[in-house]
Amino acid sequence: MAAERNPASCYLDERTFRLCCQLFLQHSETIQDGWSWEQIKGTDEGFMKKTLLIPVKSSVLHKQHECSMQDENMVTDDTQANVEDETAGVQAVCEIHAVLRYEYHVLYSFSYQIPVLYFRASTLDGRPLSLEEVWGNVHPNYRQRLQQGPWDTLTQQDHPLLGQPFFMLHPCRTEEFMKPALDLAQAENKRVNYIVTWLSVVGPVIRLDVPLSYSTEVSAPD
Amino acid sequence: MIMADDKDVLRDVWFGRIPACFTLSPEETTEREAEPYYLLLPRVSYLMLVTDKVKKHFLRVMKAEDVEEMWFEYEGTPLKWHYPIGVLFDLHASNTALPWNITVHFKNFPERDLLHCPSNSVIEAHFMSCIKEADALKHKSQVINDMQKKDHKQLWMGLQNDKFDQFWAMNRKLMEYPTEEGGFRYIPFRIYQTMSDRPFIQKLFRPVSPEGHTLTLGDLLKELFPAAICVEGDPHDENNSPRYYLMKTCLQFRHLSQEVGIRDVRKRH
Repeated sequence: MAAERNPASCYLDERTFRLCCQLFLQHSETIQDGWSWEQIKGTDEGFMKKTLLIPVKSSVLHKQHECSMQDENMVTDDTQANVEDETAGVQAVCEIHAVLRYEYHVLYSFSYQIPVLYFRASTLDGRPLSLEEVWGNVHPNYRQRLQQGPWDTLTQQDHPLLGQPFFMLHPCRTEEFMKPALDLAQAENKRVNYIVTWLSVVGPVIRLDVPLSYSTEVSAPD
Repeated sequence: MIMADDKDVLRDVWFGRIPACFTLSPEETTEREAEPYYLLLPRVSYLMLVTDKVKKHFLRVMKAEDVEEMWFEYEGTPLKWHYPIGVLFDLHASNTALPWNITVHFKNFPERDLLHCPSNSVIEAHFMSCIKEADALKHKSQVINDMQKKDHKQLWMGLQNDKFDQFWAMNRKLMEYPTEEGGFRYIPFRIYQTMSDRPFIQKLFRPVSPEGHTLTLGDLLKELFPAAICVEGDPHDENNSPRYYLMKTCLQFRHLSQEVGIRDVRKRH
Protein backbone atom coordinates (compact mmCIF):
# COMPACT_ATOMS: atom_id res chain seq x y z
CA MET A 1 0.00 0.00 0.00
CA ALA A 2 1.51 3.31 -1.05
CA ALA A 3 2.22 5.80 1.70
CA GLU A 4 0.14 8.42 0.00
CA ARG A 5 -2.61 10.26 1.72
CA ASN A 6 -5.25 12.76 0.76
CA PRO A 7 -5.23 16.06 2.66
CA ALA A 8 -8.00 14.95 4.98
CA SER A 9 -6.25 11.85 6.26
CA CYS A 10 -3.98 11.96 9.28
CA TYR A 11 -3.89 8.22 9.58
CA LEU A 12 -1.06 5.84 9.31
CA ASP A 13 -1.25 2.31 7.96
CA GLU A 14 0.74 -0.34 9.74
CA ARG A 15 3.30 -0.86 7.00
CA THR A 16 4.09 2.84 6.89
CA PHE A 17 4.34 2.83 10.68
CA ARG A 18 7.00 0.14 10.56
CA LEU A 19 8.90 1.85 7.76
CA CYS A 20 8.88 5.19 9.60
CA CYS A 21 10.14 3.44 12.71
CA GLN A 22 12.94 1.75 10.78
CA LEU A 23 14.15 5.09 9.46
CA PHE A 24 13.75 6.65 12.90
CA LEU A 25 15.79 3.88 14.49
CA GLN A 26 18.58 4.23 11.95
CA HIS A 27 19.04 7.85 12.98
CA SER A 28 18.77 6.97 16.66
CA GLU A 29 21.64 4.53 16.13
CA THR A 30 23.70 7.25 14.46
CA ILE A 31 23.30 9.74 17.27
CA GLN A 32 23.20 7.13 20.05
CA ASP A 33 19.74 8.20 21.13
CA GLY A 34 18.94 4.85 22.75
CA TRP A 35 15.89 3.64 20.82
CA SER A 36 15.50 -0.03 19.91
CA TRP A 37 12.93 -2.25 18.20
CA GLU A 38 11.24 -4.96 20.22
CA GLN A 39 9.74 -7.73 18.11
CA ILE A 40 6.95 -9.94 19.47
CA LYS A 41 8.11 -13.54 19.07
CA GLY A 42 6.45 -15.40 16.24
CA THR A 43 4.75 -12.36 14.76
CA ASP A 44 5.64 -9.44 12.55
CA GLU A 45 4.48 -7.05 15.24
CA GLY A 46 6.69 -4.97 17.42
CA PHE A 47 7.27 -1.58 18.98
CA MET A 48 9.98 1.01 19.56
CA LYS A 49 11.41 1.28 23.03
CA LYS A 50 13.65 3.65 24.95
CA THR A 51 14.66 3.95 28.59
CA LEU A 52 15.65 7.25 30.13
CA LEU A 53 16.99 8.33 33.49
CA ILE A 54 15.41 11.63 34.45
CA PRO A 55 16.43 13.84 37.34
CA VAL A 56 13.46 15.33 39.15
CA LYS A 57 12.82 17.30 42.28
CA SER A 58 11.78 14.79 44.88
CA SER A 59 8.99 17.17 45.90
CA VAL A 60 7.01 15.58 43.08
CA LEU A 61 7.23 12.26 44.82
CA HIS A 62 4.94 11.30 47.62
CA LYS A 63 6.21 12.37 51.00
CA GLN A 64 6.12 8.87 52.40
CA HIS A 65 8.75 7.88 49.88
CA GLU A 66 10.97 10.90 50.33
CA CYS A 67 13.00 9.42 53.17
CA SER A 68 14.14 6.43 51.15
CA MET A 69 14.64 8.63 48.08
CA GLN A 70 17.06 10.90 49.86
CA ASP A 71 19.27 8.06 50.95
CA GLU A 72 19.32 6.14 47.71
CA ASN A 73 19.24 8.80 45.08
CA MET A 74 21.31 11.65 46.38
CA VAL A 75 23.03 12.99 43.34
CA THR A 76 25.62 15.45 44.62
CA ASP A 77 26.83 17.03 47.84
CA ASP A 78 26.15 20.46 46.36
CA THR A 79 22.46 19.69 46.18
CA GLN A 80 22.40 18.90 49.87
CA ALA A 81 24.12 22.16 50.75
CA ASN A 82 21.67 24.16 48.63
CA VAL A 83 18.75 22.60 50.35
CA GLU A 84 20.04 23.49 53.75
CA ASP A 85 20.52 27.09 52.67
CA GLU A 86 17.13 27.38 51.06
CA THR A 87 15.14 25.86 53.82
CA ALA A 88 16.87 27.49 56.74
CA GLY A 89 14.19 29.06 58.87
CA VAL A 90 11.55 28.83 56.14
CA GLN A 91 8.74 26.37 55.64
CA ALA A 92 9.75 25.02 52.26
CA VAL A 93 9.47 21.89 50.21
CA CYS A 94 12.59 19.75 50.12
CA GLU A 95 14.19 19.97 46.67
CA ILE A 96 16.81 17.29 46.68
CA HIS A 97 17.18 15.83 43.23
CA ALA A 98 16.23 12.26 42.62
CA VAL A 99 16.50 10.10 39.55
CA LEU A 100 13.59 8.33 37.95
CA ARG A 101 13.56 5.66 35.31
CA TYR A 102 11.16 6.26 32.41
CA GLU A 103 10.57 3.58 29.82
CA TYR A 104 8.81 4.65 26.60
CA HIS A 105 7.12 2.39 24.06
CA VAL A 106 5.80 3.48 20.68
CA LEU A 107 3.08 1.11 19.49
CA TYR A 108 0.73 1.00 16.52
CA SER A 109 -3.02 1.12 17.13
CA PHE A 110 -4.98 -0.79 14.49
CA SER A 111 -8.24 0.58 15.81
CA TYR A 112 -7.29 4.23 15.39
CA GLN A 113 -4.62 3.74 12.71
CA ILE A 114 -2.16 5.96 14.53
CA PRO A 115 0.85 5.45 16.77
CA VAL A 116 0.34 5.49 20.55
CA LEU A 117 2.84 6.33 23.28
CA TYR A 118 2.94 4.09 26.34
CA PHE A 119 5.35 4.57 29.23
CA ARG A 120 6.08 3.49 32.75
CA ALA A 121 8.07 5.20 35.41
CA SER A 122 9.77 3.95 38.53
CA THR A 123 12.30 4.98 41.12
CA LEU A 124 15.77 3.50 40.81
CA ASP A 125 14.92 0.89 43.40
CA GLY A 126 12.06 -0.32 41.24
CA ARG A 127 9.03 1.24 42.92
CA PRO A 128 6.47 2.09 40.21
CA LEU A 129 5.28 5.69 40.21
CA SER A 130 1.63 6.48 40.81
CA LEU A 131 -0.48 8.45 38.36
CA GLU A 132 -0.30 11.47 40.68
CA GLU A 133 3.49 11.36 40.72
CA VAL A 134 3.63 11.05 36.93
CA TRP A 135 1.29 14.04 36.63
CA GLY A 136 3.66 15.95 38.83
CA ASN A 137 6.31 15.38 36.17
CA VAL A 138 4.22 16.67 33.31
CA HIS A 139 5.36 20.13 32.30
CA PRO A 140 2.89 22.73 33.67
CA ASN A 141 2.33 24.06 30.13
CA TYR A 142 0.83 20.75 29.11
CA ARG A 143 -1.23 19.97 32.17
CA GLN A 144 -4.19 22.13 31.27
CA ARG A 145 -4.43 20.70 27.77
CA LEU A 146 -4.35 17.18 29.12
CA GLN A 147 -7.12 17.91 31.56
CA GLN A 148 -9.53 19.19 28.95
CA GLY A 149 -11.48 16.02 28.30
CA PRO A 150 -12.06 12.75 30.10
CA TRP A 151 -10.52 10.80 27.26
CA ASP A 152 -7.75 13.22 26.44
CA THR A 153 -5.51 12.47 29.24
CA LEU A 154 -2.93 10.34 30.92
CA THR A 155 -4.41 7.06 32.07
CA GLN A 156 -3.20 3.75 33.33
CA GLN A 157 -3.72 0.97 30.81
CA ASP A 158 -2.60 -2.58 30.28
CA HIS A 159 0.12 -2.67 27.63
CA PRO A 160 -1.63 -4.38 24.68
CA LEU A 161 1.35 -6.60 23.90
CA LEU A 162 2.96 -7.16 27.31
CA GLY A 163 -0.14 -7.20 29.51
CA GLN A 164 1.45 -5.06 32.26
CA PRO A 165 0.25 -1.72 33.67
CA PHE A 166 1.62 1.25 31.75
CA PHE A 167 0.57 4.85 31.35
CA MET A 168 -0.77 5.98 28.03
CA LEU A 169 -1.39 9.31 26.37
CA HIS A 170 -4.81 8.85 24.83
CA PRO A 171 -4.72 9.02 21.04
CA CYS A 172 -7.99 10.98 20.75
CA ARG A 173 -6.57 14.30 19.66
CA THR A 174 -3.75 13.04 17.44
CA GLU A 175 -5.60 14.20 14.34
CA GLU A 176 -5.87 17.69 15.76
CA PHE A 177 -2.16 18.34 15.92
CA MET A 178 -0.99 16.08 13.11
CA LYS A 179 -3.30 17.54 10.48
CA PRO A 180 -1.76 21.04 10.35
CA ALA A 181 1.74 19.61 10.28
CA LEU A 182 0.95 17.12 7.52
CA ASP A 183 -1.05 19.66 5.46
CA LEU A 184 1.78 22.17 5.67
CA ALA A 185 4.33 19.64 4.56
CA GLN A 186 2.14 18.60 1.66
CA ALA A 187 1.61 22.24 0.63
CA GLU A 188 5.37 22.68 0.54
CA ASN A 189 5.75 19.47 -1.43
CA LYS A 190 7.73 17.89 1.36
CA ARG A 191 7.15 14.46 2.79
CA VAL A 192 7.49 13.96 6.51
CA ASN A 193 8.27 10.96 8.59
CA TYR A 194 5.02 10.57 10.55
CA ILE A 195 6.73 9.14 13.62
CA VAL A 196 9.27 11.96 13.84
CA THR A 197 6.56 14.63 13.59
CA TRP A 198 4.20 12.86 15.98
CA LEU A 199 6.77 11.99 18.64
CA SER A 200 8.21 15.50 18.58
CA VAL A 201 4.78 16.75 19.62
CA VAL A 202 3.69 14.16 22.19
CA GLY A 203 7.06 13.18 23.64
CA PRO A 204 7.93 16.41 25.46
CA VAL A 205 4.63 16.27 27.37
CA ILE A 206 6.06 13.34 29.29
CA ARG A 207 9.70 14.36 29.41
CA LEU A 208 10.74 12.64 26.18
CA ASP A 209 12.71 14.90 23.89
CA VAL A 210 13.30 14.28 20.22
CA PRO A 211 16.52 16.01 19.11
CA LEU A 212 16.15 18.40 16.19
CA SER A 213 18.39 16.32 13.95
CA TYR A 214 15.54 13.82 13.55
CA SER A 215 13.50 16.33 11.59
CA THR A 216 16.32 17.15 9.23
CA GLU A 217 18.00 13.77 8.89
CA VAL A 218 15.16 11.25 8.88
CA SER A 219 13.35 10.84 5.60
CA ALA A 220 9.83 9.70 4.88
CA PRO A 221 9.41 6.13 3.68
CA ASP A 222 9.06 5.64 -0.09
CA MET B 1 -30.99 -2.71 12.06
CA ILE B 2 -31.27 -4.92 15.10
CA MET B 3 -33.79 -7.68 14.48
CA ALA B 4 -36.58 -8.31 16.98
CA ASP B 5 -35.24 -11.86 17.65
CA ASP B 6 -31.99 -10.44 18.85
CA LYS B 7 -33.70 -8.80 21.79
CA ASP B 8 -33.90 -12.12 23.64
CA VAL B 9 -30.20 -12.68 23.14
CA LEU B 10 -29.43 -9.15 24.23
CA ARG B 11 -31.45 -9.63 27.41
CA ASP B 12 -29.84 -12.99 28.15
CA VAL B 13 -26.41 -11.46 27.74
CA TRP B 14 -27.21 -8.43 29.87
CA PHE B 15 -28.84 -10.37 32.70
CA GLY B 16 -26.23 -13.13 32.88
CA ARG B 17 -25.08 -13.66 36.46
CA ILE B 18 -22.30 -15.56 38.21
CA PRO B 19 -22.70 -16.55 41.85
CA ALA B 20 -19.55 -15.65 43.78
CA CYS B 21 -18.28 -16.12 47.30
CA PHE B 22 -15.87 -13.49 48.60
CA THR B 23 -13.48 -14.55 51.36
CA LEU B 24 -11.00 -12.29 53.12
CA SER B 25 -7.37 -13.26 52.62
CA PRO B 26 -5.84 -14.86 55.72
CA GLU B 27 -3.00 -12.33 55.32
CA GLU B 28 -5.30 -9.49 56.33
CA THR B 29 -5.43 -8.23 59.91
CA THR B 30 -8.90 -8.36 61.46
CA GLU B 31 -10.39 -7.49 64.80
CA ARG B 32 -12.66 -10.51 64.66
CA GLU B 33 -13.36 -13.33 62.23
CA ALA B 34 -14.59 -12.31 58.80
CA GLU B 35 -17.54 -14.20 57.35
CA PRO B 36 -17.53 -14.83 53.60
CA TYR B 37 -19.83 -12.65 51.51
CA TYR B 38 -22.02 -14.02 48.72
CA LEU B 39 -22.97 -11.99 45.68
CA LEU B 40 -24.48 -12.53 42.22
CA LEU B 41 -22.12 -10.81 39.79
CA PRO B 42 -23.38 -9.38 36.49
CA ARG B 43 -21.33 -10.80 33.63
CA VAL B 44 -21.32 -7.54 31.70
CA SER B 45 -20.10 -5.35 34.54
CA TYR B 46 -16.78 -4.80 36.29
CA LEU B 47 -15.63 -6.12 39.66
CA MET B 48 -14.81 -2.74 41.14
CA LEU B 49 -18.21 -1.40 40.15
CA VAL B 50 -20.31 -4.05 41.86
CA THR B 51 -18.39 -4.84 45.05
CA ASP B 52 -19.09 -1.87 47.31
CA LYS B 53 -21.08 -4.18 49.58
CA VAL B 54 -18.18 -6.61 49.70
CA LYS B 55 -15.89 -3.82 50.83
CA LYS B 56 -18.32 -2.56 53.47
CA HIS B 57 -18.80 -6.08 54.76
CA PHE B 58 -15.11 -6.68 55.40
CA LEU B 59 -14.37 -3.16 56.61
CA ARG B 60 -16.66 -3.89 59.55
CA VAL B 61 -14.11 -6.29 60.98
CA MET B 62 -10.99 -4.32 60.16
CA LYS B 63 -9.26 -1.25 61.50
CA ALA B 64 -9.01 1.70 59.13
CA GLU B 65 -5.23 1.70 59.28
CA ASP B 66 -5.10 -1.88 57.96
CA VAL B 67 -7.15 -0.99 54.88
CA GLU B 68 -5.51 0.09 51.62
CA GLU B 69 -6.75 -0.34 48.06
CA MET B 70 -9.02 -3.40 47.69
CA TRP B 71 -8.10 -6.00 45.11
CA PHE B 72 -9.22 -9.50 44.21
CA GLU B 73 -7.45 -12.71 43.53
CA TYR B 74 -8.44 -16.19 42.37
CA GLU B 75 -6.15 -19.11 43.21
CA GLY B 76 -3.12 -16.86 43.39
CA THR B 77 -3.88 -14.85 40.26
CA PRO B 78 -4.75 -11.17 40.73
CA LEU B 79 -8.02 -10.46 38.92
CA LYS B 80 -7.88 -7.64 36.40
CA TRP B 81 -10.87 -5.52 37.33
CA HIS B 82 -10.87 -3.82 33.92
CA TYR B 83 -11.91 -7.08 32.24
CA PRO B 84 -15.67 -7.69 32.27
CA ILE B 85 -16.64 -10.10 35.04
CA GLY B 86 -17.91 -12.71 32.58
CA VAL B 87 -14.53 -12.74 30.83
CA LEU B 88 -12.65 -13.14 34.12
CA PHE B 89 -14.83 -16.05 35.12
CA ASP B 90 -14.58 -17.78 31.76
CA LEU B 91 -10.82 -17.31 31.68
CA HIS B 92 -10.02 -18.46 35.20
CA ALA B 93 -12.82 -20.48 36.70
CA SER B 94 -15.25 -21.77 34.12
CA ASN B 95 -14.31 -25.40 34.71
CA THR B 96 -14.75 -25.31 38.48
CA ALA B 97 -17.83 -25.68 40.61
CA LEU B 98 -19.92 -22.68 41.57
CA PRO B 99 -19.89 -20.43 43.50
CA TRP B 100 -16.79 -18.72 42.19
CA ASN B 101 -14.47 -18.37 45.18
CA ILE B 102 -12.73 -15.02 45.13
CA THR B 103 -10.19 -13.86 47.72
CA VAL B 104 -10.29 -10.24 48.88
CA HIS B 105 -7.16 -8.26 49.77
CA PHE B 106 -6.67 -4.84 51.31
CA LYS B 107 -2.91 -4.56 51.23
CA ASN B 108 0.16 -5.41 49.11
CA PHE B 109 -1.50 -4.18 45.95
CA PRO B 110 0.20 -6.01 43.02
CA GLU B 111 1.50 -2.96 41.12
CA ARG B 112 2.96 -5.00 38.31
CA ASP B 113 -0.27 -6.87 37.57
CA LEU B 114 -3.23 -4.65 38.25
CA LEU B 115 -4.37 -1.19 37.28
CA HIS B 116 -5.33 1.09 40.14
CA CYS B 117 -8.99 1.90 40.63
CA PRO B 118 -9.24 4.83 43.02
CA SER B 119 -12.82 5.73 42.02
CA ASN B 120 -15.75 4.85 39.77
CA SER B 121 -14.74 7.55 37.32
CA VAL B 122 -11.71 5.43 36.41
CA ILE B 123 -14.06 2.55 35.56
CA GLU B 124 -16.27 4.93 33.59
CA ALA B 125 -13.28 6.27 31.63
CA HIS B 126 -12.15 2.74 30.84
CA PHE B 127 -15.62 1.60 29.79
CA MET B 128 -16.17 4.64 27.58
CA SER B 129 -12.77 4.22 26.00
CA CYS B 130 -13.72 0.64 25.04
CA ILE B 131 -17.02 1.85 23.57
CA LYS B 132 -15.16 4.54 21.68
CA GLU B 133 -12.60 2.14 20.29
CA ALA B 134 -15.34 -0.27 19.21
CA ASP B 135 -17.04 2.58 17.34
CA ALA B 136 -13.77 3.59 15.72
CA LEU B 137 -13.77 0.09 14.25
CA LYS B 138 -17.48 -0.03 13.37
CA HIS B 139 -18.19 3.49 12.18
CA LYS B 140 -14.87 5.38 12.06
CA SER B 141 -16.05 6.97 15.34
CA GLN B 142 -18.81 8.87 13.54
CA VAL B 143 -21.68 7.60 15.68
CA ILE B 144 -19.98 8.03 19.06
CA ASN B 145 -18.73 11.50 18.13
CA ASP B 146 -22.21 12.57 17.01
CA MET B 147 -23.68 11.58 20.36
CA GLN B 148 -23.89 14.18 23.08
CA LYS B 149 -22.16 14.04 26.42
CA LYS B 150 -25.45 13.22 28.12
CA ASP B 151 -25.90 10.25 25.76
CA HIS B 152 -22.48 8.92 26.77
CA LYS B 153 -23.47 9.43 30.38
CA GLN B 154 -26.66 7.47 29.81
CA LEU B 155 -24.66 4.51 28.49
CA TRP B 156 -22.52 4.53 31.58
CA MET B 157 -25.41 5.03 34.01
CA GLY B 158 -27.27 2.18 32.31
CA LEU B 159 -24.36 -0.13 33.02
CA GLN B 160 -23.70 1.20 36.49
CA ASN B 161 -27.33 0.89 37.59
CA ASP B 162 -28.08 -2.29 35.68
CA LYS B 163 -30.74 -0.67 33.50
CA PHE B 164 -31.11 -2.62 30.24
CA ASP B 165 -33.56 -0.22 28.59
CA GLN B 166 -31.64 2.89 29.55
CA PHE B 167 -28.42 1.37 28.20
CA TRP B 168 -29.88 0.05 24.96
CA ALA B 169 -31.76 3.25 24.18
CA MET B 170 -28.33 4.69 23.47
CA ASN B 171 -26.43 1.57 22.51
CA ARG B 172 -28.80 0.80 19.64
CA LYS B 173 -27.34 3.80 17.79
CA LEU B 174 -23.90 2.24 18.10
CA MET B 175 -25.27 -1.05 16.81
CA GLU B 176 -26.81 0.29 13.63
CA TYR B 177 -25.05 -0.34 10.39
CA PRO B 178 -25.94 1.05 7.00
CA THR B 179 -26.47 -2.05 4.85
CA GLU B 180 -25.65 -0.13 1.68
CA GLU B 181 -22.15 0.33 3.01
CA GLY B 182 -21.73 -3.34 3.78
CA GLY B 183 -22.36 -3.15 7.49
CA PHE B 184 -19.78 -2.35 10.13
CA ARG B 185 -16.40 -1.37 8.76
CA TYR B 186 -14.65 -3.86 11.05
CA ILE B 187 -15.97 -6.17 13.76
CA PRO B 188 -14.78 -5.12 17.23
CA PHE B 189 -13.72 -8.28 19.01
CA ARG B 190 -11.12 -9.48 21.47
CA ILE B 191 -9.97 -13.03 22.05
CA TYR B 192 -8.65 -13.22 25.60
CA GLN B 193 -6.07 -15.82 26.52
CA THR B 194 -4.38 -16.91 29.69
CA MET B 195 -1.40 -18.68 28.20
CA SER B 196 0.27 -15.61 26.79
CA ASP B 197 1.77 -12.28 27.89
CA ARG B 198 -0.43 -10.69 25.30
CA PRO B 199 -3.75 -10.00 27.04
CA PHE B 200 -5.89 -10.51 23.95
CA ILE B 201 -5.87 -10.94 20.22
CA GLN B 202 -7.45 -8.01 18.47
CA LYS B 203 -7.13 -7.57 14.73
CA LEU B 204 -8.95 -5.87 11.90
CA PHE B 205 -11.68 -8.11 10.49
CA ARG B 206 -14.27 -7.13 7.94
CA PRO B 207 -17.76 -8.63 8.34
CA VAL B 208 -18.08 -9.22 4.59
CA SER B 209 -15.65 -11.03 2.32
CA PRO B 210 -14.24 -9.31 -0.79
CA GLU B 211 -16.74 -11.43 -2.80
CA GLY B 212 -19.62 -10.10 -0.75
CA HIS B 213 -20.35 -13.07 1.53
CA THR B 214 -21.31 -12.36 5.12
CA LEU B 215 -18.66 -13.86 7.35
CA THR B 216 -19.27 -15.84 10.54
CA LEU B 217 -17.56 -16.40 13.85
CA GLY B 218 -16.10 -19.56 12.37
CA ASP B 219 -14.53 -17.60 9.54
CA LEU B 220 -13.04 -15.14 12.02
CA LEU B 221 -11.56 -17.92 14.14
CA LYS B 222 -10.25 -19.81 11.14
CA GLU B 223 -8.41 -16.76 10.00
CA LEU B 224 -7.18 -15.32 13.26
CA PHE B 225 -7.14 -18.11 15.81
CA PRO B 226 -7.33 -21.51 14.14
CA ALA B 227 -6.20 -23.26 17.32
CA ALA B 228 -9.60 -22.52 18.81
CA ILE B 229 -11.42 -24.70 16.32
CA CYS B 230 -11.39 -28.41 16.87
CA VAL B 231 -13.69 -30.79 15.02
CA GLU B 232 -14.20 -33.83 17.16
CA GLY B 233 -15.28 -37.26 16.03
CA ASP B 234 -17.43 -37.88 13.00
CA PRO B 235 -18.33 -34.58 11.38
CA HIS B 236 -21.41 -36.20 9.82
CA ASP B 237 -22.84 -37.23 13.17
CA GLU B 238 -25.50 -34.62 13.88
CA ASN B 239 -24.58 -34.67 17.55
CA ASN B 240 -21.05 -33.85 16.62
CA SER B 241 -21.19 -30.88 14.27
CA PRO B 242 -18.11 -28.70 14.34
CA ARG B 243 -17.73 -27.37 17.78
CA TYR B 244 -15.83 -24.34 18.81
CA TYR B 245 -13.58 -25.72 21.39
CA LEU B 246 -11.93 -23.05 23.40
CA MET B 247 -9.38 -24.09 25.92
CA LYS B 248 -8.03 -21.38 28.23
CA THR B 249 -9.42 -18.92 25.74
CA CYS B 250 -12.39 -16.69 25.82
CA LEU B 251 -13.92 -15.11 22.76
CA GLN B 252 -15.51 -11.77 23.18
CA PHE B 253 -18.13 -10.33 20.98
CA ARG B 254 -17.75 -6.67 21.43
CA HIS B 255 -20.07 -5.86 18.54
CA LEU B 256 -22.79 -6.09 21.12
CA SER B 257 -20.84 -3.35 22.92
CA GLN B 258 -20.65 -5.83 25.71
CA GLU B 259 -18.34 -8.70 26.29
CA VAL B 260 -19.82 -12.16 25.82
CA GLY B 261 -17.72 -15.03 27.01
CA ILE B 262 -18.12 -18.15 24.96
CA ARG B 263 -17.15 -21.07 27.06
CA ASP B 264 -16.20 -24.57 26.26
CA VAL B 265 -19.22 -25.86 24.36
CA ARG B 266 -17.97 -29.40 23.82
CA LYS B 267 -20.35 -32.07 24.94
CA ARG B 268 -19.12 -33.61 28.14
CA HIS B 269 -19.07 -37.38 27.98
